[in-house]
Amino acid sequence: MTSLARCAAVARRELSSALRRPSYWFLFGVLALAAWGFSEGAVTISSGDATAGGERSHITSVFAQTMFQSILITGMGAWFLAIAAGLVLIRDAEHRVGEILHSTRLTAREYAWGSFTGAVLAFLVIWGLFLALSAGFNHVLATGEDVRHIGAFVPGNYLYPALLIGLPQILFFAGVPFLLGAWTRRPIVVFAFPITVVLIVLGFLVSWSPGWLDPAINRALMLVDPSGFRWLNETFLKLDRGMDFYNTAPLPPDTGFLLSRVALAAVGLLAVEGAARNTARRLLRGDTDAVVIGFRESSRKQAPETAEATRPRREGTLAELQMQTRPPGFLTAAAAISRAEIRELIVRPGLYLFIPLILWQSVSQSLFALGPLDSPLLLTSGAMAARQFNTLSLLVSILLLFYTVESLMKERAQRFGEIFRTTPVATGAMVLGKTAGAAMVAGVILAAALVTSWAVIVVRQLLGNPVGFDLWPFLAAWGGVMVPTLLFWTALVTAAFALFRNRYTVYGLGLALLIYTVFKMSVGEPLPWVANWIAWNSMAAWSDMGAFSLHGDALLLNRLLYLSLIPLLLALAMRWFGRQEFDATRILHRLRPRALLGSGVRLLPFAVPPAVLASLLFFGGRAGDQGPGAEEAARNYWRRNVATWTDFRMPSVSHVELDVDLEPSARTASVSGAYTFVNHRDHAYPELPITAGLWAPIEWTLDGEPYEPDDRSGLFVFTPEEPLAPGDSLTVGFRYDLAHPRGLGTRVGGRGQFILDSGVVLTAFAPTFAPVPGYLPGLGVDEDNRYDQREYPDDFFVGETEPALGWGGTPMTTRIRITAPEEYTANSVGRLVSEEVRDGRRTVVWESDQPVRLFNIVAGRYAVEEGRGTAIYYHPEHDYNVEEMSAALDAAREHYSVWFHPFPWERLKLSEFPAYAGYAQGFPTNITFSEGIGFLTRSDPRSHAAFAIVAHEAAHQWWGNILTPGRGPGGNMLSEGMSHYATILLHEEVHGERYRIEFARRIEESYGDNRFVNSERPLVKTDGSRRGDGTVTYDKGGWVMWMLQQEMGRENLLAGLRAFIDAYRSSSDFPVIQDMLAVLREFAPDPEAFDTFSEQWFHDVVAPEYRLSEVTKERAGRGWVVRGAIENAGTGAMTVELAATAGERWFDQGDAGSRTVVSPGYRDSRTSVHVGAGESADFAIETGFDPGRVAVDPDVLVLQLRREAAVFEFPE
Amino acid sequence: MLEIKNLVKVYPGPVAALQGVSLQASRGMFGLLGPNGAGKTTLMRIVAGLLEPTSGVVRLDGEDVGKDPGRIRRQLGYLPQDFGFYPHLTAAAMLRFLLVLKGIKAPHGLKRLTAELLERVNLQDAAKRKVGTYSGGMRQRLGIAQALAGNPRIVVVDEPTAGLDPEERNRFYRLLAELAEDRLVLLSTHIVEDISVLCPRVAVLTGGRVVADTTPGAARARLEGTIFEGAVEKGEMADLADRFEVTQAVLIEGRNRVRVHAADGLPPAGFEPVAPSLEDAYLLLTRNGASANGREPPEAAERAGS
Repeated sequence: MTSLARCAAVARRELSSALRRPSYWFLFGVLALAAWGFSEGAVTISSGDATAGGERSHITSVFAQTMFQSILITGMGAWFLAIAAGLVLIRDAEHRVGEILHSTRLTAREYAWGSFTGAVLAFLVIWGLFLALSAGFNHVLATGEDVRHIGAFVPGNYLYPALLIGLPQILFFAGVPFLLGAWTRRPIVVFAFPITVVLIVLGFLVSWSPGWLDPAINRALMLVDPSGFRWLNETFLKLDRGMDFYNTAPLPPDTGFLLSRVALAAVGLLAVEGAARNTARRLLRGDTDAVVIGFRESSRKQAPETAEATRPRREGTLAELQMQTRPPGFLTAAAAISRAEIRELIVRPGLYLFIPLILWQSVSQSLFALGPLDSPLLLTSGAMAARQFNTLSLLVSILLLFYTVESLMKERAQRFGEIFRTTPVATGAMVLGKTAGAAMVAGVILAAALVTSWAVIVVRQLLGNPVGFDLWPFLAAWGGVMVPTLLFWTALVTAAFALFRNRYTVYGLGLALLIYTVFKMSVGEPLPWVANWIAWNSMAAWSDMGAFSLHGDALLLNRLLYLSLIPLLLALAMRWFGRQEFDATRILHRLRPRALLGSGVRLLPFAVPPAVLASLLFFGGRAGDQGPGAEEAARNYWRRNVATWTDFRMPSVSHVELDVDLEPSARTASVSGAYTFVNHRDHAYPELPITAGLWAPIEWTLDGEPYEPDDRSGLFVFTPEEPLAPGDSLTVGFRYDLAHPRGLGTRVGGRGQFILDSGVVLTAFAPTFAPVPGYLPGLGVDEDNRYDQREYPDDFFVGETEPALGWGGTPMTTRIRITAPEEYTANSVGRLVSEEVRDGRRTVVWESDQPVRLFNIVAGRYAVEEGRGTAIYYHPEHDYNVEEMSAALDAAREHYSVWFHPFPWERLKLSEFPAYAGYAQGFPTNITFSEGIGFLTRSDPRSHAAFAIVAHEAAHQWWGNILTPGRGPGGNMLSEGMSHYATILLHEEVHGERYRIEFARRIEESYGDNRFVNSERPLVKTDGSRRGDGTVTYDKGGWVMWMLQQEMGRENLLAGLRAFIDAYRSSSDFPVIQDMLAVLREFAPDPEAFDTFSEQWFHDVVAPEYRLSEVTKERAGRGWVVRGAIENAGTGAMTVELAATAGERWFDQGDAGSRTVVSPGYRDSRTSVHVGAGESADFAIETGFDPGRVAVDPDVLVLQLRREAAVFEFPE
Repeated sequence: MLEIKNLVKVYPGPVAALQGVSLQASRGMFGLLGPNGAGKTTLMRIVAGLLEPTSGVVRLDGEDVGKDPGRIRRQLGYLPQDFGFYPHLTAAAMLRFLLVLKGIKAPHGLKRLTAELLERVNLQDAAKRKVGTYSGGMRQRLGIAQALAGNPRIVVVDEPTAGLDPEERNRFYRLLAELAEDRLVLLSTHIVEDISVLCPRVAVLTGGRVVADTTPGAARARLEGTIFEGAVEKGEMADLADRFEVTQAVLIEGRNRVRVHAADGLPPAGFEPVAPSLEDAYLLLTRNGASANGREPPEAAERAGS
């Protein structure tokens, strides 16, 4: 037999044994499901048109297949490859076949390479089946109506990624664990490898890519990412290249990436060679069958008995020892077993690998946490504990799975089981002792994570970060919420192992449950509270203003439920624990219905508490406002009214009178009030519909008299005796009690509005606390009755247009009286006209000093920072950015009043509310911010994030309130895009050009990263219904206004905008972009250029992308001439500046937050070129200095893609 | 008193490891002899409460062990055939851990008891070495120490002397003999000489059945006058084996020194009568089962009929 034949024989043996392993077929099952899911179009490249019937990118393209394979192999394959390849030699050692094998002609190298080849071939078989299944599902079975995501069958699209991305990964993920297994003989090290790599890849390499990341570092990360996904994403996917590109273009690897894949494969193969050599060395030493549990390879040191060790000392009898025996107490035995477990765990290297890994993964969640505008977040102790919660829960659960199983397996693996099981220790004590030992690991990790979090906060404090450490959130979130998960999980794993008595089965089931849970909680509809055993995302909405205030009751019941399951699981574990090997025949007898019933009855006392708690949680959730009753009521509202009332236009509300008595601790309010309707239209109203919440009973009045409106499932229709004639008015009164939220929630997640002990935020957008005039088309719409966005004709804005936000008609006055416990400050729109405290309750009255179109209420236990006609109401512990935010609010009020329109109200307030909702909204005079926005942004000088967020929200006083945009395409740009534009202006005004450039670049990059080429429509057509409409409305909208300013001139544009606001601020016709352009054109110095610009940027979709080529510099007399060519690889035609520069441009003056100026050493010379789509132009720049670089658009005046590539650096 | 009645154990396959084993044993050393695969270890594991029988019952002092395995565990000292320990613990720590689990106490404390037990098995100088570094013989002695600890009422030892040198083997047997003075020691082995020296009673298992339940003396006496010894040429061996049951054949100086069993008392030519050994009895029993040479051992016959 030749060497190759012996190697092949080993490979065949390994292949056949691997393919008989259930875990491989479990993997195949998961992959088959994934293949089916992909064929359904569940995951596609984010390109194309997401609207019904629109084109989509193909999942069969080489790009899509590369994406799937890169993530699947890393996310799933790595585990199986590591276990399959890494444990081969360890398993042979456990089975003690080493000496027999190596007594044949088989060499160590043949053995190692043969075993590795077999393990890899087994995976390749599974992978090949997966690819074949994918192709089958995609091209044979997917023949339904909606197969827009399926392209032509091109075998290369499947095989090319398998070779380029898959094979190097497979060799790497199999080879390195193979070496680790051969070298250390420690299964735990083999397990640790894929966990480490997968967490680093999926948790960091694939996802972490802030806009400010240095391109060189980004490139290095692409090359070291084993999955290859980062390279694919950063090079091709992040910036959407359009569906046609993805569906048809080839995927050429660049040289660097290709070399990195070769290197990855080489690392795997070199590792195998290393394993072969290690095995050969072991053979020489004669320790082929050593399996190591602790740090030292014990059997290597196995020594023959020394003369001293065998020398008899004394012949004594056993009777002399006077031994007495009494079976040990339960706790004594459990403690002894637990101590032995801990002694073993502390010498296991896995612990020392896992703990730093888990700490890194966990703490990095907070170190790299990014907030608005990619700015780092200021993490309070609560936010830090909450951010680490999911990761810690998951990783510690994985670790407990391994440690618990290995602990329960240990006696069997070490052949100590028979002695151990015949000791007179109670089975319960054995189970408890072992699980307590494993749980101890969890305790050590949590303690280490706590200390690390403390250290991170303290170090940050030393570096000037204002946030201090607080122990309570960690105790509450980790001790109170996570520890029950870990105890339950340990009990569950113990019971599963006791039942199956097979480590691979339990690993498979445990990992499957973890993957299923995390998948369900992260994608689609999350598991309800009753099934959310890991309390996943329960800390996602942490609030320093009142932890657990939203979901506290449901979470408490959930934790009690899973704690109560522990005795049941332990009882089952004790019943099934392998103290005695059951006889197969008798097992069948035990499975008879009567025997099972008997067992069930005996377990009943353990099952009753969890059953009761589960019922409370389940039925409590169903009875609440997230339950099926509330959903059905909303659906009935839609069903009964959509056909009748959709296009009904309401008369104006001229005055709102509200009296709201809040009881935050009970989540309730008593509301009474009245709306005065004025018919501002030219026709009479025989009926008036008003939408109310589920507040039964509601006492209605009409013009002061009790009234019974027609209740159309929540739409109350009033029919006055005489129709409401033009110019006439009537008053509708109401009184009711409400709770919001009502009942237990069904699942984790925030709420948009709430009355909670921690704070109150209520708006008039929806009937959460006050009735809303008219019919609300969006209410009661879910997946079953969702309809396409309305399509508007091009001239839809001609005539009177309804508002995009708030109530229609003319503005109204408001008088809102709020009563709340004395310690609460309650704010609403307008000015405070009275405040009194009586019997521990504070009553405030807010009146609109100028008319408004919307109102809201926000309340909390606040501290106040007064500004110049402004005030910030904040949680007393969140004072970190208040000064900067107050300055921003003052600046906004001052400058926006000059630029756009005088601020009409007396006072501008900004109030913080708990992070159970995560938005900021600019109601008239009463801006509300979630605590995570602005207040907890780490506002470094580069981003000025807190400033920018306040500037944007404050701008809504003008762009949203003073001027309310119209409903329809382009309307929202007048709110959000204009607010971004205002922020650019305010940045430049307050912080100077450098930071205006920084902000503009960030929103430009956001546009590049988040746009969808195929679904993007012109600004005048963008209606928010398509993917990517958000960035078009906000980022592109703001940028286009900034470019329009360059086109028209700043003062012309601002004058035009003032005229535009004046024209519409009191009108019942609400404007859209076309209305604005019509006004602005009057102020354009060059109307034709204005038309060209608006045609290109408002009525069309263009995105320039500039490239420099053939750039040279040469001396010309005493100066230099820079020559080159500029190409517009994108679309659109713009005049753009080119600058040849030398030196650093910006110079920080003193305080980092202050304005910056051009540094003295900086020099530049410029020229301008006009290049259209696909055009190139030569340029020449004369300079009086030696230029170091050439930059396109140095002042960031033209919106473009991939700006970082439009730079040329001369070599030193 | 240990009473084993109609014990049947069928492993999936199916493989019948025990086919109706019945035995009774009280104080003293009780030997279990049998070839590999006879069912000895299965029987020991059932007695130790580690294995559930398919049918039959094991009673200790009249109480069914299967219904309350904890009862036998409280009174048991057990040394399995194949065992290990936690390799990272020292022998002293390992033994002390087991003493705690067994609830053993001594007047001078566990530490001293541990040391003295280790001394009894001659491991006193290796007490602080990790068990993972022990040789097979040292590990076996540690196993013996834990099995003998705590004055167990019943001691079950399965092939206990494997890996022990003669001196240690003797030492162990002395300890066992001491224990057996006032309790039951169940000793399973295929080393006939051990049984012969130690056990006043012995049961022979083969094919999952008890083919003899007797004393070494009775087993030998039953063969009195039927064992002969002589020397034959190599070429005569086949013919001799056809006519007699050969219990031993040793090649010495080119000739076979042979022991044969002649049930009718008529030896081959040139053979002399010799005293029967327990090994002769064992070999004949295991080879021919309960009807060796047409003579069924009376005790086995009684139990088979019961």
